[in-house]
Amino acid sequence: MKFFLLILKNLRRNKLRTALTALATMVLVFVVTMIWTVVYFLEAFTQEKSGNLKAIVTERWQMPSQMPLSYVGPLSHGAARKAGDKEPKDSMAWQFYIGTLDAVKKTRENMVVLVAMDVRKLPRKSQRDGKVIITKGMIDDLDPIDEALIEKLAQTTQGCLLGKKRLKALNKKVGERFKITGLEYTGIDLEFEIIGVLPEGRWDENGFMNERYLNNAIDAYKGFGGTKHPLDQRRLNMFWVEVGNKEDFSQVIEQINTSPTFSERPVKCETFASLIANFLDSYSGFIWFIQWVLVPGSMFSMVLLIANAISLNVRERTKEMAVLKVMGFQPWQLLVLVLGEALLLGTSSGLLAGGLIYFIANTLAGGITLPGSEPFPVPWMAVVWGASVGGATALLGSFLPAWTARTIKASEVFARVA
Amino acid sequence: MSYQLPPWLSLIAPPAVAVALVAALLVAGKVPLSYNLRNLRIRWKTTVLTALAFTVVVALLMVMHAFATGIQRLSQGSGQPANVIVLSDGASDELYSNLPLSETSDLARQEGVLRDTAGRPLCSREVYVFINQPVPVREGQRPKHRFLAIRGVEEPSVSALVHGLELSSGTWFSEAGVRDLSSANRERASTASPYAHVEAVLGEGLAREFGRDRDKESLEVGDVFPLGPRQGVVVGIMRGADTTFGSEVWAKRQKIGEIFGKETFYTSLVLRTDGPARAQQLAQWLSRDFKKVAVSAMTETEYFAKMSEVNEQLLGAIYFVAGIMALGGVFGVMNTMFAAIRQRTTDIGVLRILGFARWQVLVSFLLEAMVIAALGGVLGCGLGYLVNGMNTNSVVGTSGGGMKRLSFQMIVDGNTLAAAVLFTLVMGFLGGLLPAMSAMRQKPLESLR
Repeated sequence: MKFFLLILKNLRRNKLRTALTALATMVLVFVVTMIWTVVYFLEAFTQEKSGNLKAIVTERWQMPSQMPLSYVGPLSHGAARKAGDKEPKDSMAWQFYIGTLDAVKKTRENMVVLVAMDVRKLPRKSQRDGKVIITKGMIDDLDPIDEALIEKLAQTTQGCLLGKKRLKALNKKVGERFKITGLEYTGIDLEFEIIGVLPEGRWDENGFMNERYLNNAIDAYKGFGGTKHPLDQRRLNMFWVEVGNKEDFSQVIEQINTSPTFSERPVKCETFASLIANFLDSYSGFIWFIQWVLVPGSMFSMVLLIANAISLNVRERTKEMAVLKVMGFQPWQLLVLVLGEALLLGTSSGLLAGGLIYFIANTLAGGITLPGSEPFPVPWMAVVWGASVGGATALLGSFLPAWTARTIKASEVFARVA
Repeated sequence: MSYQLPPWLSLIAPPAVAVALVAALLVAGKVPLSYNLRNLRIRWKTTVLTALAFTVVVALLMVMHAFATGIQRLSQGSGQPANVIVLSDGASDELYSNLPLSETSDLARQEGVLRDTAGRPLCSREVYVFINQPVPVREGQRPKHRFLAIRGVEEPSVSALVHGLELSSGTWFSEAGVRDLSSANRERASTASPYAHVEAVLGEGLAREFGRDRDKESLEVGDVFPLGPRQGVVVGIMRGADTTFGSEVWAKRQKIGEIFGKETFYTSLVLRTDGPARAQQLAQWLSRDFKKVAVSAMTETEYFAKMSEVNEQLLGAIYFVAGIMALGGVFGVMNTMFAAIRQRTTDIGVLRILGFARWQVLVSFLLEAMVIAALGGVLGCGLGYLVNGMNTNSVVGTSGGGMKRLSFQMIVDGNTLAAAVLFTLVMGFLGGLLPAMSAMRQKPLESLR
């Protein structure tokens, strides 16, 4: 305890230096935490979750995925075609309708991305006999929506549910109507009534609409000479299947991937984690750079800054160290004293930085945003990362100065003083 | 027309300006720089540690900036000012555009569209496809994927004229767009496909990247490569490593449309006019007054400028990260300078008694901090420069929601160096300012006591 108090006292002695070193550590921990947050979430998306029984079907080759709507029927049966084939427990078709409120000046703020689907498949909650009943649905990262709202949406063809942030960006309220100029479905402009707001979370920037509204509009479209819309046979963007048990999971995936039904526009069926992993392969260079160059670079800077500060400390306290030796302190105790100072400074700065970034980034900005991406919320582990990075770099940086302190010769110091 | 410095001058200019600034301060300050340099030499360990922190920050900034500059050069070099790109109405990227074949025949006959020597309108009819396909990996490695941009064109020689491209080797693909390799070649190509190979011309950058998959410098004419569900055979390599087309596969429009289900429409038409003014005029007319089909037309430079918008966001993120790291360096140099001043209070007192003014003491210590920063910065610039010319690739999103896959070289140019030098000077200045002010405020007699 006395040793710890001595460490604290030493840090308090030169408050300015302690503060500057702490600030430098905090700032660099901030960079490391930001990058690890992004990498953490990317790795989370690409890791197969045990117990995951959902697969996603997309076009095998092209981006964006655009499949014929006629695929829905066979896919909802898991492309089962012979005795012994398994069928999914549940399925869901997604079509994306992207548009803008201002066709002349398109900005991120006036764009709307709606998922057209059978809205009765949204996760829902209802009250029965005083109990809340939750029907999970197929969308894991969406909190359940009030059943009455879903029914209202199902019955209101032109209805839509929007995320809170998107509603705010469009400057609209529930009950209002708005018209969108279709960007992908050019020539198909749709008018919507805002039925309600989605629960806060992953879907804050998007919304849901009735698939029949979009499909009716595409069917009714007549181009020059009465031609159908160019995307008439390319309406289906994604199809989800959920299988009842693990044994059937691989079989259903295999059925879909090898089915001759989809030979005209080949499809691939895989888990969501696999889809994301394949997508991120093209960014592997960038991810490698930020993980293995930027982060080590920041940590190396931290090591240097702490090494500098601690060696300044040791150099100014050679007399004090000599006196401590004369008083009976062992060399290893002096080593531990200096290392302890650095460790306390580094760990507490890192802890504070991690805590601040967790609180400030999540509260003010909703997370860390990369250009063109959704925000990544900072996980609580950022506090642990900060403390461990601060502590580890402090230990590394202070080792040489601590060794110098350990090898101070009292006689030489006093000879110089004399 | 903007004026650009010659490359050698743009590299020399930033450090020259920095040196001139420091020299001006030196002359104004009058405290001999040798005094500061001697002190840095005596406390060389502290000097080196602080300078190295700057080295890391500056080197990382230069690497990230070189990456962004490489992308910027590519997107700026891709658009021809005299070209008009026509997309379907509402589409801001060719990936989401669909122009029905039958409705666009008149576009090439519009007034202002140039013709070649054979009388063909300089109109490139294109289908752009973006696919995700497996990359050949060694045994035991995790399967990987790569995005690939494929452009189907109807008349490759016309499209090349429109885009200002030419072949560096081989020929353009034939009218049929496919080639039936002999059975011997097919065996060598290890293909079990019953289909004929799709004739393709590869951009230089992409040919190099495909070559790296096979430990070769580049794919060559005659090489076979996977093209989505089919196999492609290289019939030519296209110059254009400094444009986005250098990262694309070009093949016959009809074949690409057939393979990827885009046989009934084009994604874009690109029209060549006689100059930027005419292109602007034509683009406006087509967007406003072309009645046969609703289109969105713009000059090609405008179209590729949208890619630069996303790049600017990337640059903003780079400066943000570098700025935060630089703050760490600033606190580091502050620590060093406060410690130095604490040890040299007597020196400061002597300087004041000798007649140097407060502000000259300030300038002296400020310069000392900037010299530390400059030492680290020069080393950082040297390290950062090593990435100049390094090949890399990336997927870039456009502000229209589309995607382009780019194989490009990282470029360290005058802007990159200027950014690095500016960071170094500002970090040194900010880090040295507070300590220098504290030195300036010391009373001569008290500091000599």
